[in-house]
Amino acid sequence: MLKINNLSASVDDGQKQILNGLSLEIPAGEVHAIMGPNGAGKSTLSYVLTGRDGYDVTGGDVTLGGEDLLDMDPEQRAAKGMFLSFQYPLEIPGVPTMTFLKTALNAQRRARGEDEMAAPEFLKKARALAADLKMKPEMLKRPLNVGFSGGEKKRMEIFQMMMLEPSFIVMDETDSGLDVDALRIVADGVNKLRSPDRGMLIITHYQRLLDYIVPDKVHVLTSGKIVASGDADFAKKLEKEGYDAYAA
Amino acid sequence: MQILRKNSKKKAMTHMPLNLKTLPSRRDEAWKWTDLRGRVSDGQAGLSADGHPKFTAPEGVVLSQGEGHAGEGIMSKLAQNFAPQSWNIYVPAGFKNGEALLIEDITRGHVRVSIMVDKGAELTMIEHHSGDAATFTNFDLHIHLADGASLTRVIVHDDPIEAIRVATACVASEKDARFNQFVLSFGGGLSRLETRLHVEGAGFEANMNGAYLLRDHRHCDMSSHIDLTQPDCTIRQAVKGVVTDKARGVFQGKFLVQRPAQHTDAEMRHDALMLSDSSEIRSKPELEIYADDVACAHGNTIGQLDESALFYMQQRGIPIGQARALLTEAFLADVFDDLDDEDLKDSILGKLRDWLKDTA
Repeated sequence: MLKINNLSASVDDGQKQILNGLSLEIPAGEVHAIMGPNGAGKSTLSYVLTGRDGYDVTGGDVTLGGEDLLDMDPEQRAAKGMFLSFQYPLEIPGVPTMTFLKTALNAQRRARGEDEMAAPEFLKKARALAADLKMKPEMLKRPLNVGFSGGEKKRMEIFQMMMLEPSFIVMDETDSGLDVDALRIVADGVNKLRSPDRGMLIITHYQRLLDYIVPDKVHVLTSGKIVASGDADFAKKLEKEGYDAYAA
Repeated sequence: MQILRKNSKKKAMTHMPLNLKTLPSRRDEAWKWTDLRGRVSDGQAGLSADGHPKFTAPEGVVLSQGEGHAGEGIMSKLAQNFAPQSWNIYVPAGFKNGEALLIEDITRGHVRVSIMVDKGAELTMIEHHSGDAATFTNFDLHIHLADGASLTRVIVHDDPIEAIRVATACVASEKDARFNQFVLSFGGGLSRLETRLHVEGAGFEANMNGAYLLRDHRHCDMSSHIDLTQPDCTIRQAVKGVVTDKARGVFQGKFLVQRPAQHTDAEMRHDALMLSDSSEIRSKPELEIYADDVACAHGNTIGQLDESALFYMQQRGIPIGQARALLTEAFLADVFDDLDDEDLKDSILGKLRDWLKDTA
């Protein structure tokens, strides 16, 4: 599914090297978690995978389903199935949530050469999923994320995931800003999306989220590369012992 | 419905050609960013001639020609010189009709229009300002709103890149009158859409909103001057602009709150987006207040589209051009929120979207 091979990347026009030969392979159907201290390069990895401006790839390659991702624009990567759940979802003033999502879904479909989804079908799907996530229907009419609480924004990210049905999901600090109830709703949503055709990468600072979304593998990222890997229990050990043992 | 057009076969008036030196230039403070004299050339079509607009008026609205109102400003004086006959429009007291007064073909020359909206009457008027090629247009409009009269004025302006246009509206209002103005401008070679309100009666309410969308070398100047001399008036002004390429947007707004104008509640906003490094925005909001019990505010921002928001939209699969268009439309569209006529609003938002599509 997702193959990251010897990936290096810098920011600030090459002034600051963040990723240093990171390699990782996440097969379809698996959920991997990346943990690591502040400044290890966790968020940088999520932005490099999704093609944000300002992050220069200086070496290595990344493929999704065998296709080279790094030469694609962010929207092309999205159409190929790459989805990033943002640590801080953006507010989009003046663009109602439904308009935003319908535009996104149909742009992806067009890019894949598929037919657009008609309005009634889209609405039906959106209403059903919103109910699953215990979202108020009026939230869908409001401009995307504007005035939403931290928890509502994260729930909206999960809602978008369910609507867009990506093949690979990167979750950047999805648990930040969530109380326990919201965390459970979000985790339930993510667990429902687990499927043999879909891969997931969960980037997190704390082990807490992994009690709810149990990963197949856990990796430690420090100084821009993976320095250790283990199974789900490894995360508990990391939480207890800290990252010092893995400092570069 | 009545359609009137000035009989252009009537023997043309002959005038001395316009002396370019009489035109306002950047040496005049009010025109410092819209250098009319510097842009107009001798022999420009329409420079020394009267124009021939087309009027479509709802039944009951009376159109005639006559001397009209004699305005004071230099552009008004030029209009009086080259267009001795004014179009006079009378809206009878209590008039109410869903249909709008349409003024089209304001394509070149000097045009004078006087509108009297009598007591309690309600009217919507739509002006289409669009020239052909390198024309010069000087549109001089006078509006009188009697007690309780209500006028909604909608302007759609789209000129070729060589065209020069000045459109000035002077509005005088009596007690409890209402004035709503919505402007959509795509600019021209040089254009200035100016609105001057003189409030002569208490309890006046006005909304003066506008959006300018400019590309290439286009220029649009939205200037306004609001003179408040009576108490209990409410003014809301929101102008938004988007400029790209080498276009230039100008906003000048002034609220003059005279001593008797107590309990004035007035707000002026100008917000603009610059989508290219070579585009330009010039802005001058002014408040001059002599009354002591008023609420007056102004705000002015110039910015760019939020890069993080654009990336977020791209990450969801929306192509960058479409993402820019969506964000820009969202930024501009609320200027037309209070336009009650939904069909008219849809048509305006449609034009705005077309422009964004072509520009993306």
